[in-house]
Amino acid sequence: MRAPVALRIARRELRGGTRGFVVFLLCLMLGVAAIAAVGTVRASIEAAIRDQGAVLLGGDAEMAFTYRFATAAERAFMAARAANLSEVVEFRSMAVAGEGTAADRALTQVKAVDAAYPLAGAMVFDPPMTPAEAFAATGGVPGAAMDPVLADRLRLAVGDRFRLGGKSFRLAARILREPDAAGGFMMGPRTMVRTADLDGSGLLEPGSLFDTRYRLVLPAGAAVGPLGREAAAAFRSTGMQWRDARDGAPGMRRFVDRMGSFLVLVGLAGLAVGGVGIGAAVRSYLDGKVATMAALKAMGATSGTIFAAYLAQVAALAVSGVAAGLVLGAGAPILAGPLIAGALPIPVAIGVSARPLAEAATYGLLTAALFALWPLARTREVTAAALFRDLGPGRRVWPGWRLSVALAGIGSALVVVAVEFSGVPELALGTLGGTVAALLVLALAALALRRVARRAGRRVRGRPALRLALSAIGSPRGEASAVILALGLGLSVLAAVGQIDSNLRAAIGRDLPEVAPTYFFVDIQPGQIEGFLARVRGDGAVSRVDTAPMLRGVVTRINGRDARAVAGDHWVLRGDRGLTYSPVPPERTRIVAGEWWPEDYAGPPQMSFARAEAEEMGLKLHDRVTVNLLGRDIEAEITSLREVDFGTGGIGFVMAMDPAALQGAPHSWIATVYAEPRAEAAILRDLADAYPNITAIRVKDAIDRVSEALAAIARATAVAAGVTLLTGAVVLVGAAAAGERARVQEAAVLKTLGATRATVLASFALRSALMGAAAGLVAVASGAAAGWAVMRFVMEGSFRFEPVSALAIVTGGSLATLLAGLVFALRPLAARPAQVLRARG
Amino acid sequence: MSETILSLEGVRLVLEGNAGPLEILKGITLDIRRGESLGLVGPSGSGKSSLLMLMGGLERATSGRVTALGHDLTALDEDALARFRRGNMGIVFQSFHLIPTMTALENVAIPLELAGVADAFARAAVELEAMGLRARMDHYPAQLSGGEQQRVALARAAAPRPAILLADEPTGNLDAATGAAIMDLLFALRDRHGATLILVTHAPELAARCDRVVRLADGRIAGEERAGRVRVAE
Repeated sequence: MRAPVALRIARRELRGGTRGFVVFLLCLMLGVAAIAAVGTVRASIEAAIRDQGAVLLGGDAEMAFTYRFATAAERAFMAARAANLSEVVEFRSMAVAGEGTAADRALTQVKAVDAAYPLAGAMVFDPPMTPAEAFAATGGVPGAAMDPVLADRLRLAVGDRFRLGGKSFRLAARILREPDAAGGFMMGPRTMVRTADLDGSGLLEPGSLFDTRYRLVLPAGAAVGPLGREAAAAFRSTGMQWRDARDGAPGMRRFVDRMGSFLVLVGLAGLAVGGVGIGAAVRSYLDGKVATMAALKAMGATSGTIFAAYLAQVAALAVSGVAAGLVLGAGAPILAGPLIAGALPIPVAIGVSARPLAEAATYGLLTAALFALWPLARTREVTAAALFRDLGPGRRVWPGWRLSVALAGIGSALVVVAVEFSGVPELALGTLGGTVAALLVLALAALALRRVARRAGRRVRGRPALRLALSAIGSPRGEASAVILALGLGLSVLAAVGQIDSNLRAAIGRDLPEVAPTYFFVDIQPGQIEGFLARVRGDGAVSRVDTAPMLRGVVTRINGRDARAVAGDHWVLRGDRGLTYSPVPPERTRIVAGEWWPEDYAGPPQMSFARAEAEEMGLKLHDRVTVNLLGRDIEAEITSLREVDFGTGGIGFVMAMDPAALQGAPHSWIATVYAEPRAEAAILRDLADAYPNITAIRVKDAIDRVSEALAAIARATAVAAGVTLLTGAVVLVGAAAAGERARVQEAAVLKTLGATRATVLASFALRSALMGAAAGLVAVASGAAAGWAVMRFVMEGSFRFEPVSALAIVTGGSLATLLAGLVFALRPLAARPAQVLRARG
Repeated sequence: MSETILSLEGVRLVLEGNAGPLEILKGITLDIRRGESLGLVGPSGSGKSSLLMLMGGLERATSGRVTALGHDLTALDEDALARFRRGNMGIVFQSFHLIPTMTALENVAIPLELAGVADAFARAAVELEAMGLRARMDHYPAQLSGGEQQRVALARAAAPRPAILLADEPTGNLDAATGAAIMDLLFALRDRHGATLILVTHAPELAARCDRVVRLADGRIAGEERAGRVRVAE
């Protein structure tokens, strides 16, 4: 009958209120709420992607081709199986408004559609109209629709004219919603036209860079899975890429999935910070219960009963904290629903779903158990003698074997759950491993600081405030360990996020060379390249021009086997890649293995592959790579490996082939132009006038687009880390509050011995600042390590230690600890010694 | 007759309790001479400890005047009181009140350090040795027995050679044998340094060792008796 007695004791103890457990409840609530909120938003977006698969894809299924339209056989295949079929063409171009020197030009992502578009979902235009109305010709000029951003940039009003290539269009409407636009990153804002109206524009010539997508609506009852397999089997060698509504926006889904997992793990690190606070709160609560426990023992309660009674209290509070966290975590995104939905590219209804809440609750309960059980073990060590002698709470008790097994079990469960829920085992293991490592380093740092403080304390003579501070830090019963662990872990997460944030923001600027090209020109037709070069090379403001012929193809096989089976999901295999040809190694090429083909080589196709990518994909000299170009397979032997630096902003190809292998294929040229700013506008104007089909990408604009995307990631991470900061603050305040009782006592004794309030305050401030600085320093080191790991393995970028962010963390940590220490020094300073000492006496 | 070292004139102490103001001391007038040992006795709640706290400047009188070594304690602010205690007063509590984060040596050294004594640690070590705690200097309070903790507290109180030693039931938390040993040490200290000793106690035999015993009841002096000859500082 032990348990019921324990429960009764627990109930009576809890009747006294949960005052000592505010920190416990807040830590758990915040950690659980952060994870639940991220999970709720993620689940809602994923549900939207799933439910709107057909709308996002633009049909039940899609067959996509690079730089060509479907062949007659492919069209026949689709027509035979689809109830409805629609063809979409996408490419980049320049939209030009006005004439001559007054013309405005802007890069745009053109989407050309047929009359059947859209097969799923609906376009929303301003003013409201149907696609047929939007694209209808007025006075012989076809209609078009534009992203409002682009229309405003070109100062185009509805009814105004603009040009794409050699063709004029009339802006009929602004695009408010495009149902199938969640395709991912676009270099320029959208312009939509009818494909047929592009005839004569010169934009869809052989060798031009365009994609075609054929959307299929299947007859009722037809399954997409078998059709996908059938299509893949029929068109395996044509470079056809299949997608279907089961995964309508794979890029977005992958991004949401990865970002969601990452943020949940940031939340988990935050929960670990809360865990330290939970442990400290339980310890502090039990310290105040020593007399109660001793009295219970004196009256015959066994250690087991007492352990059970306090375990029940902690469990009840943990359930309350988790429940509050779930309500907050599910409620906040719903309240902020319109705000969140407005920032997303697809319509998303934020709603409660069970799985993320179950995930957050599981994390919360496991973390609470992991951090509370050890302090709870101390209840077994309290003896009845504590009633008569001050046995001193706060003694460290090592867990017995049973508890050790339980703790190991809970820790393992946490790892399994994190791996299972996140779906990204490396990331989950990395986060948990990093957290444990940070805790260990912090524990060691706390130990070292205590030793140093103890030694230094003996040497510092004549400066009582400093020696008092050092004694307090050096004492085995002091709060140094708890404060450094809690604050250090919180600051480590912040430091890591700070390093990641700074690195993400700096990545673009840092990774680009000092001299980046001004413009990237694509779609230069072979017949235009001479005129193009004549214009730019004859310009005194142009310092350098690089050109290369370019084709794009899909790597389908390696040594005759399916490429993905050999090299996995390497980025080179995702979608199509550019490739070039050249009789001689291009300028600045460094061949590191093998040899470039002879200038007049005309034998079987040979290929030069980028060294780093070859290594990542497991390719070596003499391997055979099959590339599908416009439906035709070309198999080439790798005869050289060369260094390609994709960070220069200039032209870089993973694959180069001998001219004989590719020269017959339709292709265009690309060029980079390095020009002084004053010449930029004139170059663009002259080239665009002479060659309307050429697309100019201003490198600075492209960099800005990428920077914006990275800044958004950094912002989301910073928000998640904000919750960690808040938890850290709660833990810090909790630690300071827990130590207040001891400091009141200490201040009273010190005053009795002749210490002035200034001396006492200086001693309190010094110890807070020293502990904060120590925690901050360790946090910077562990945060930098975590930041490096995330940048290197998750973001796949480079890492550089950012001292400003680090300095801010150390300073912030010290100041926060100092502030908390000072706030909680007010009562000890104000208390009159007699009141304190009498109460204790 | 030797000079008066501590005097109280019509001292009242009213504390705010949960049930309203509570008059703890109701007009105490008392002179204590240099070198004298004075026992304060009386039933629980009679105001003995409060009176001792007033004498040490740890509590502030609601009215009346407390003068120690010529200083009007009622006119001093908290920091001035703290400075006054340095070197002038040593206080021993029933619950020892050692600082748990400091070793025995550090606990004894701290009042000396606060007073700016250059060889604080050397002197603290001498005091602890005199208390028989040479082997315990680097121990923390939690590692010491009750008797040892009280001896550290005694050493701490005596280290600055205070003119006045105040002890609030110093044996209250100790067994009889340890308590007796502590009292021997306390009186030996008094004898060695010629300090004035004011002792709050419940134990009649301890009170009997004092030169004079003042009996308190309900916040007033209810009686006074001389237990022996007044000792004069050597």
